[in-house]
Amino acid sequence: MTVAAGIGYALVALGPSLSLFIAVISKKPFLILTLLSSTLVWLISLIILSGIWRAFLPLNSTTWWPFAILIFTSIAFQEGLRLLFWKVYKRLEDILDAFADRVSKPRLYLTDKMQIALAGGLGHGVAHAVFFCLSLLTPAFGPATYFVDRCSQIPFFLVSAIIALAFVTVHTFSMVIAFNGYAEGNKVDQLFVPSVHLAAGMMTLINFAYGGCIIGIPLLFLMAILTVMHCGRMVWRRLGENQRQFATTKTILSNPRLAAYYMRMFVMPIVVV
Amino acid sequence: MESSILESIGQEIIGVMSPVSLCMLLVVLLVYSLSDSNPFSSSSAPIRTAANLVYLENPSDTTAQKLEGALLNALVFVILIAIVTFVLVLLYYYNFTNFLKNYMRFSAFFVLGGFVVLGVRYNGWFYLLSIIQHFSIPIDSITCFLLLFNYTIVGVLSMFSGGMPIVLRQGYMVSLGIIVATWFTKLPEWTTWVLLVALALYDLVAVLAPGGPLKLLVELASSRDEELPALVYEARPTVSRNEGNPRSTLGFLVAGVSDSGSVEMQAVSNNNVRRDGAENRRSPEYTAIQVRNLENVEGERNRDEGERSPLVGHSRERYSSDSNSSEYSTVIHNRESETSVDEEMSPLVDLLGMDNEREHERRDSVVASRGIKLGLGDFVFYSVLVGRAAMYDLMTVYACYLAIISGLGCTLILLSVCHRALPALPISITLGVIFYFLTRLLMEPFVVGMATNLMMF
Repeated sequence: MTVAAGIGYALVALGPSLSLFIAVISKKPFLILTLLSSTLVWLISLIILSGIWRAFLPLNSTTWWPFAILIFTSIAFQEGLRLLFWKVYKRLEDILDAFADRVSKPRLYLTDKMQIALAGGLGHGVAHAVFFCLSLLTPAFGPATYFVDRCSQIPFFLVSAIIALAFVTVHTFSMVIAFNGYAEGNKVDQLFVPSVHLAAGMMTLINFAYGGCIIGIPLLFLMAILTVMHCGRMVWRRLGENQRQFATTKTILSNPRLAAYYMRMFVMPIVVV
Repeated sequence: MESSILESIGQEIIGVMSPVSLCMLLVVLLVYSLSDSNPFSSSSAPIRTAANLVYLENPSDTTAQKLEGALLNALVFVILIAIVTFVLVLLYYYNFTNFLKNYMRFSAFFVLGGFVVLGVRYNGWFYLLSIIQHFSIPIDSITCFLLLFNYTIVGVLSMFSGGMPIVLRQGYMVSLGIIVATWFTKLPEWTTWVLLVALALYDLVAVLAPGGPLKLLVELASSRDEELPALVYEARPTVSRNEGNPRSTLGFLVAGVSDSGSVEMQAVSNNNVRRDGAENRRSPEYTAIQVRNLENVEGERNRDEGERSPLVGHSRERYSSDSNSSEYSTVIHNRESETSVDEEMSPLVDLLGMDNEREHERRDSVVASRGIKLGLGDFVFYSVLVGRAAMYDLMTVYACYLAIISGLGCTLILLSVCHRALPALPISITLGVIFYFLTRLLMEPFVVGMATNLMMF
């Protein structure tokens, strides 16, 4: 039973990513490599951040503002890293196109580019879920569970799994939005991503109040849904524009469908809360 | 709709990474499920093995003592390995190939079957017993023995003789790696870490330094045009690629044109497949002629078939038995794709005339029938690192896994630059060790402090 609970928590956090991985990523080796490297980038960013903040730890758990500063700096750092990631990707895209020309293959389609962005985002998201949720799950496989004082209604593992699910979603799709925004030079999209990330991070601060997670988590999922919807709209628009250029369009990355799936996934946890 | 290049790039890398990941995953699961709640594995009495001959770690020793002892252990172990490798090279040099092959059959038999070689308590048998005990599987000893015996025999046969599906061979390589790696995780902590670093250094020297034993072995094998006399995982393509041609991606990302390398990565060339292809390409009944041609060449090839790779062995066996043609058609398919590669590659090879066309074809198919090879030792020590990390926390496991895999990726990319056999341990082990300690010392308090307050970003 306890093993079942542990696996269940893991699947709550990573189930959607797993299906996304199997459906889209796993068939294309290059996307797997992108996913792995993006996970590594996120891990390195986390290590650097923890190296910087190590001196101030453990934080006083009665005041909230040190956490606010911590989250703000972390998100700022990670958004800077996203820009770097984009620069590297841009160079990679040129190399790939040159290579495609050389072997007389078609260049990268729009859907291919979006899939690369999706893989990169999924890497970030999976890294988040793995380090903030999965790695703390070890005790959940044992015979007991754990509650934190501030959110005493549901077990800690379930809360962290649900929060991780929201963050996986935000990370995954905001990368698609960000890459598209950079490619088009769309200022709105470029600003949308950091602000959503920041808002989501700040919403976890609500958990600091006693019983705050009842409000904080639904708000967090609101951000996630917002991200998915924005991403779906954007992809829809881009694909529509693209259809005129290419006679045939792949129906990969059918994001509206995924969005619907995610909506269903979110409604359930909110009801639980 | 033409397939995009995303589907073809990186196939080789994934082909190597996925078995390594599988091996690590299974080792971690084994370590995890057996480490707690099992009276056997608590290792009340530390065992004495080749890896800790000098010093037996004691939890009450001081750090300096532990470090010194661990260094001595690692030194002795590396020296032992070096001596054994030199003996192997000497044997190979004086053409005791059969002896080597039998020796490896023998040792694989004992590791897989798990008899007395490593001490009954710490080998495959032991794991089997403790797994059975842990999950309370109802099985009687005779059935268990029969199953184990069959498993072992098939394993030994699949590893050292042609005509077995390569999947079986790969599977047994991975399981061999798992058994040995799980055994190594029984070593005390300090010794493990120092040993890993020492082995990485040894690997670096043995493969790259002039006169290093592995370098000698690789050069010998490639000058004799033979398979390496070693336990090596081959990521050879098993399925036919329709459009994503293997050669070009290899050439692009990992142009593994190195000759060979036993405990190392290498690209295998399968020269004898190509000879028949060169004659009659671009003829209308390409496939049909190919088939007949294969039949003709059969006789010449039979001679060295025993030592040759399973892929070639297949085509012969399937052909004669004619029972299962799927594998055979794979071979044909591969060649067809080679042809299409040739046509597609024309801008790159600046318009070859008809005279040097043949030469071009030859070169191309040589490259096309390569796979990347990874020594079993690399499997084992990657898994040892991850298994050791699993004894601390899951977080260190993920960090180490990512570090090792990215190190492996770096090595593969270097392989394309260097065009020679490369040691696979140094980069991965260095990254793995660094990430382990960074995670343990820096990241864990940070992440745990954040997460238990339900703060995330």
